[in-house]
Amino acid sequence: MTRDVIERFRPLFEPKTVAVVGASTKGGTLPNVFIRRIREFGYGGAIYPIHPSAESVDGLKAYRSLGDTPEPVDYAYIAIAAAQVPPLLEEARGRVRFAQVISSGFGEADEGKDLENALAAAARTGGMRLLGPNCLGLHTPRGRVTFTEDAPKQSGPVGVISQSGGLGTDIIRRGMSRGLEFSGLVTVGNCADITPTDLVEFYFADPQTRVVGMYLEAAKDGRRLFEILRDAKARKPVVVLKGGRTRQGLVAAASHTGALAGDDRVWVALSRQTGCVMVDTLDQFIDALLVFQTLTPQPQHPTRRVALFGNGGGTSVLATDCFARLGLDVSPFGRPTLDALAALQLPPGTSITNPVDCPVGTLRQDEGRVAEKILDIITGSGTPEALVIHVNLSAFAGRTPPEVLDNLVEAALRVQSRYSGRAHFVLVLRSDGDPPLEERKREFRAKAGALGIPVYDELANAGHALAALAFHERFVLSRSGDR
Amino acid sequence: MESARLILEARRAKRAALDELAGKQLLASYGVTVPKSRVVQDAQAAGAACANLRPPLALKVMSPDLLHKSDAGGVAVGLHSAAEVEDAVRAMMKRPAIANARVDGFLLEEMAPAGVEVVVGGLRDPQFGPLVMVGLGGVFVEVLADVAFRICPITRLDAEEMLDELKGAALLRGARGRKAVSREAIVDVLLKVGGEGGLLMAHAQDIAEADINPLIVSEQGAVAVDARFILTKA
Repeated sequence: MTRDVIERFRPLFEPKTVAVVGASTKGGTLPNVFIRRIREFGYGGAIYPIHPSAESVDGLKAYRSLGDTPEPVDYAYIAIAAAQVPPLLEEARGRVRFAQVISSGFGEADEGKDLENALAAAARTGGMRLLGPNCLGLHTPRGRVTFTEDAPKQSGPVGVISQSGGLGTDIIRRGMSRGLEFSGLVTVGNCADITPTDLVEFYFADPQTRVVGMYLEAAKDGRRLFEILRDAKARKPVVVLKGGRTRQGLVAAASHTGALAGDDRVWVALSRQTGCVMVDTLDQFIDALLVFQTLTPQPQHPTRRVALFGNGGGTSVLATDCFARLGLDVSPFGRPTLDALAALQLPPGTSITNPVDCPVGTLRQDEGRVAEKILDIITGSGTPEALVIHVNLSAFAGRTPPEVLDNLVEAALRVQSRYSGRAHFVLVLRSDGDPPLEERKREFRAKAGALGIPVYDELANAGHALAALAFHERFVLSRSGDR
Repeated sequence: MESARLILEARRAKRAALDELAGKQLLASYGVTVPKSRVVQDAQAAGAACANLRPPLALKVMSPDLLHKSDAGGVAVGLHSAAEVEDAVRAMMKRPAIANARVDGFLLEEMAPAGVEVVVGGLRDPQFGPLVMVGLGGVFVEVLADVAFRICPITRLDAEEMLDELKGAALLRGARGRKAVSREAIVDVLLKVGGEGGLLMAHAQDIAEADINPLIVSEQGAVAVDARFILTKA
């Protein structure tokens, strides 16, 4: 079963032959750009432009129809006028595995519904599976195919499905800058044939994928989605960003129950019953995916108690409030931990209870090595399930030698590896947007991410991400004995 | 099968919903406790039926024309004797809304022991299929919308979590000096209605919406005191 699913989708995620429909001999169209992008992305297989009259397009030999290519087509990228697409698909004669229809003008508006039905029928006649219409494409590092400019070549564990094309681009580009690495991202548009549920099945089976993210607007096959997620018992974490959750309740409901249902309740139910994590914004989506990419869930000790360590008193207080609202507990350490911290005889102004607030002066001591002692005591006590280290980079600027900051971050990395698996380590690097600081942040982000520490821009981001992790861990624990 | 017969009869009679008696029979066929009752046609028969029922009793008019029985004056509660029951039937028959409606009869029922009012509901979602709902009755459902939904079929753990999710959950544990009620009895009803092989799964094609309102829950158990099942469009 698992093997079947992987084999079925292999031509999509690792195409050996790609057909492109809609590229012009003069260049400049989206399909021309697509050809350039996959070449730049390192795609080495055959590319077959389909063109009604030209001999060649972008230096590649062109063919008249999808049925005329020298080899069968694994993946066809189609961006021509909507009405021309069904006849094109019908001519494929079973020689196309997956067709992705970028064109819009189908079921997204009432007048296009019939054409969308005709499109789905044409795909069946032509013998292929269909992605879209009304989408942007596919990003698959393992297959060296992408629809975005300067896409990240690095492969990773995050598999994404997006019903919006534009948001798919955002997820790739913003996700990349926050450290996400993708096993794939598929934009599915109107889902005339292949649905997000089909791709969830693939990602669950795919060994490269460890966490699945979905941006959904509707679930035509909601029942199947529910059953697949429920049966998987959150074996791989799933993060769902659902658009359109505030639609007015069912209009003509005749019962109390009907009037109370609304559109959101079923998604809350889905989350509670399957363990998928619901998020509200694109940033929360990326932040939650990053936490699952980087940290290993510990269902036996679900994340609840959090130790905060860093510089900034107000920041610590606000973070404590924010974490508490998210169900995370930032409460004072026990006596032995406090005694051990007190024995360090930190300078006045340092608060050691939790949150641990260390002014820059303290962090500067011993060229930043004091941080390692503090972190060692907190982690060694075994109390917190998560340790959030936050550094306000601006506070260091201009008054501290650069190596102090390096020492601090490296101390965190050392303590984390010393107590591997004991507590989740999260790093928050706060800055004011100053380009040199952003550049340093980028370096630290890469370094920490590679060592299994996710880096966030603000404490609230880290809080939401840890809350997502905690929700997943609690669900897995609650279902561990459930039949 | 009793439950299929009840739905078929309502379909044959071109009804959009099961009447109260059929609704309760449907619940009873899935093992949900409903009040002991008799259906009578007039005051005399009502008085006679009292011999087999333990007071206090409730009397409700049965009519496909009256969606809101109590607004029409078609509900009387706390009746203790045959004479009170007979008077109540006569008074109801004189009320204009009832006199002008098709009346199938009167439902005479034993009243449930006092307890916390809970609502259990059902709904067919076009994408996800049957959903089951639970909430605390009265102001909690109507004003605060303090309810929890799940996709059917639910497990026992799902049912427990539904109750934990309610903001008013403390009332079930006996807040403000009241006795705790049987949480187990609510979980049991939720499973019979929304669990594997439960009412909503078995009749997913036929039931569009369901309200068991109220389900009265005491220390001893839960009784479905009113029930509405709205059928899907045929």
